[in-house]
Amino acid sequence: MAKHLRFLARTVMVQDGNVDTAYKTLNRLLTQDGIIETVKRKRYYEKPCRERQRKNFENCKRIYNTEMARKIAFISRTNREDPWLGC
Amino acid sequence: MYKSNCKLVSSVSNIFLQCAASPNSNGSPLGLQRALCSSDVRFEPNAASTAEPARTSKDFSHIPPLPGEDSSLRWGGKKFEELPIAHIKATYNNTHIQLTDSAGQSLIRTSCGTEGFKNIKKSTPIAAQTAGIAAAAKATAKGVTFVRVLVKGLGPGRLSAIKGLTTGGLEVVSITDNTPVPHNGCRPRKARRM
Repeated sequence: MAKHLRFLARTVMVQDGNVDTAYKTLNRLLTQDGIIETVKRKRYYEKPCRERQRKNFENCKRIYNTEMARKIAFISRTNREDPWLGC
Repeated sequence: MYKSNCKLVSSVSNIFLQCAASPNSNGSPLGLQRALCSSDVRFEPNAASTAEPARTSKDFSHIPPLPGEDSSLRWGGKKFEELPIAHIKATYNNTHIQLTDSAGQSLIRTSCGTEGFKNIKKSTPIAAQTAGIAAAAKATAKGVTFVRVLVKGLGPGRLSAIKGLTTGGLEVVSITDNTPVPHNGCRPRKARRM
């Protein structure tokens, strides 16, 4: 990080002295940007075959989760437009 | 895990075919929308990637004041870039705390080992907290009050070292994460098989 401006990226200011909330904010930002999981994964070497399996698995999981979330959101709605209108 | 992948693929493709038949009422589900706005490049300012409110009622921003622009925030009479820096290196086996001034000259150096812990006890949050308290005590003896914290590594003492600094009497102004993330540089050691 020598070529970048220091104290700009991945920085959180502490408000009113509560370090806990600042640390939680920092952690949340880092997990949302995927840094924590990258660091954990790069601790040991991941062979290319394992990497391909993991990417495939994450792809499938993402598709499944989005479809399931869509279904649940649809079912949990109470006011919908009448699907049989006009029949 | 690979066999479960194949089963998941077939089940997912079934679900997808069924869902493709029904009309898509929502454009894109909420989960995708959130993933889109949070997967930004690391070196952009964090507020831009997470869209959290930067201005509260007290005009407090989570982004630090840049050296170029003039901000009226002062801590102990010093600007943000003149405050001393507390480097906390939280490895998996130990936690080191080094206090330097804004130029980089080292003032105080403590670690779990210098506090009398040995071997496995060094890799505990309690040891990191004692190291933080000791560092804060030495720092206040040298006349340091406000400090910016730079954390490196994901170890057990990552949070408790900062807590130790605050309980020891230092005021933390900002927390930065400086964990080294290689863009596929050196090859790490082989995976452990347990």
